[in-house]
Amino acid sequence: MSIQIQRGKAITVDRRTRKTPMGQGLLRGLGVIWKHWSASFQKNDSYKKIQGTFTIEYPEERRQLPEAYRNMPILLYDEQSGHEFCTSCFQCERICPPQVIHMTQAKDPATGKPVPAVESFEIEYDACMSCGLCAEVCPFEAIKMDHTFELSTHDHPSLTVDKTALNRPTTYYAQIAPRMWEEVKENAYKKLAANMKRRSDLIGIAPQMQEQLREQLARAPQAEPAPEAVASASTTADDKAARLAAIRAANAAKRANSENGQAAQGDATQSADDKAARLAAIRAANAAKRAAQQAQASEAPETAPSESASPADDKAARLAAIRAANAAKRAAQQAQASEAPETAASESTSPADEKAARLAAIRAANAAKRAAAAAEKGQEE
Amino acid sequence: MLSTDELQINIGPQHPSTHGVFRLLTRLEGETIIELTPVFGYLHRNHEQLGEANSYLQNMPFTDRLDYFNSMANNHAYALAVEKLAGIEVPERAEYIRVIMVELTRILNHAGAIGFLFNDMGAWQTQLAFSMREREKILDLFEMVSGARMMCNYFRFGGVVRDLPPEFLPALQDLLEAMPAFIDELERLLSENEILLARTQNIGILPKELAISYSVTGPMLRASGIPYDIRKAEPYSIYDRFDFDIPIGSVGDVYDRFLVRIEEMRQSRRILLQALEQLPDATGSHINPKARQNVRPPVGDAYTRIESPKGELGFYLVSDGSTKPYRYKIRAPSFINLTPLGDLCRGHKIADVVVILGSIDIVLGEVDR
Repeated sequence: MSIQIQRGKAITVDRRTRKTPMGQGLLRGLGVIWKHWSASFQKNDSYKKIQGTFTIEYPEERRQLPEAYRNMPILLYDEQSGHEFCTSCFQCERICPPQVIHMTQAKDPATGKPVPAVESFEIEYDACMSCGLCAEVCPFEAIKMDHTFELSTHDHPSLTVDKTALNRPTTYYAQIAPRMWEEVKENAYKKLAANMKRRSDLIGIAPQMQEQLREQLARAPQAEPAPEAVASASTTADDKAARLAAIRAANAAKRANSENGQAAQGDATQSADDKAARLAAIRAANAAKRAAQQAQASEAPETAPSESASPADDKAARLAAIRAANAAKRAAQQAQASEAPETAASESTSPADEKAARLAAIRAANAAKRAAAAAEKGQEE
Repeated sequence: MLSTDELQINIGPQHPSTHGVFRLLTRLEGETIIELTPVFGYLHRNHEQLGEANSYLQNMPFTDRLDYFNSMANNHAYALAVEKLAGIEVPERAEYIRVIMVELTRILNHAGAIGFLFNDMGAWQTQLAFSMREREKILDLFEMVSGARMMCNYFRFGGVVRDLPPEFLPALQDLLEAMPAFIDELERLLSENEILLARTQNIGILPKELAISYSVTGPMLRASGIPYDIRKAEPYSIYDRFDFDIPIGSVGDVYDRFLVRIEEMRQSRRILLQALEQLPDATGSHINPKARQNVRPPVGDAYTRIESPKGELGFYLVSDGSTKPYRYKIRAPSFINLTPLGDLCRGHKIADVVVILGSIDIVLGEVDR
């Protein structure tokens, strides 16, 4: 048998058939072990050394992970504007080999058209195989691989994580992978700037940033706000949630206003609805304002004696204010909904609609009252 | 004279010395094996069928999980198959990076295989710890380039995911500097050890003819004395640019397989040194910029094979022109090298079975797929 081998030859390995005195091979092996044992008191810190301790006392000591290290996918948002890079293009969902990424696209509430932003984003961490393909295919640099690896938990369902848990600011990613971020940064921001133009209101804002952003919005002078909104927005209360609720209520009222205006104008019942909605909104705004004042009042004395009680009160007041705002919005929507059939001249349905709107308004007012009471209670405590 | 009966013993499916969930059905006469039937399939994961449901790129991370010791080699074989099917060219630099990764994998695999072989023999942990130390260094390098230690998922059609980071090459130089000391020490520690000689010499002899008829490949075939290496016989990638020798054995027993693996580590180091020397002159980047990852190859089929550390690893793909392979078949070296186990063990003592199995160097992830 002859086999031609290019650039090399076949070499027969040496089987060491020479006779050595019995036991010498064993002793030689023991010598190697002895050398390693005596060197094991030193640390092996270089690839050039083959002796010494090379283990790491893990929980106390940690390796410096390389930049490219990948564990689980995360989403990035820009902490300046609060906008998420993700535009829900579904590339990662499609490529994911174990199919663990699920997302829905955000829609403009006014027009119903899709917006380049993600509404919900879910990854099943428990089934993710950390292959990194999602981060690779993402054209907007929105999905990246995290370095955190200590994810074990007894609570299995908690490993299905949503957008709030996935979001990380770009500063975080720049910290774990500075070079890799530097490479793609410019491109990422360019694309984000283009997408931000197509997003309205709070769509595409990271949940972590929404509150902060609303506060900024509230502080900025508004272009053409409804009168009640100005009143509530200009309150100096530093309880941002209350303020937020007020803005929401005002917005709802505004929306109710404008929509009503567009609808058939001469209709008698329409104006009634309009009035009801507006009233509800005003009431809600007032309630929110009250809640804010209460919260402020309750906070003032408490900051000095009992610091621990204040966050709870604050929370309750905030919650109530938000509820009130929601109720007001609902009322506005009811009013809006009732208009649609009315423009088609079906008078019979209008009283019912009107009733519903009024009911909603009352509910909103009640909610606001409750909020005020809660705040008061908090103050007493 | 006492009359004795034959005894049937089931080793496995879960036995600490077998390399995974694997069952050996043995018939014994005293302690001597009369018949041994390997039974596998406990780790079947429907890999090939799954490959037909996935797109071409989606299969890449799954190939990591075949032979989880050699994810880079598996990636290489699969990438070559898709590139052949779709006619994608690979830049020179990418080829060098690929060769570096696959040769590192070979060193890693052989160091591990020797470590586990001696673990099976009863030399608990001593040798394995030394092997693991070197293996961990190589895994550090893999993590640096690919982001993962074992499931690298580093290769792409037309190249590799990302270029080598600047700290990679100095680390590799250091590693290669320490390599001869490690390999020599391995030999000094083991190859003249009387216990080892007694346990491995003339145990589990695989004659040339039998090896060929079982289509055994890799170090096992070479230990039987046949200088067959796909890197030489049918050079793929850029293996025709390197000087290296093929170590062969003369007897074909467990000891020869052990020595062949040690020598192959030296030859891999030679290839790595040459690749490092030639890498700066290589043209192109780490990936072909024209290569699309969501490939849609023309109708046809392709078979590519590489010399993976365990033997011939082949991927057979049939395309029907869609984004998913119509047929996805793997020729797994572990699986085919395992088939002569019954012949190897016949006539030996039951204690030798585990040593012979260890010398074949199987990974059940690849055997069962």
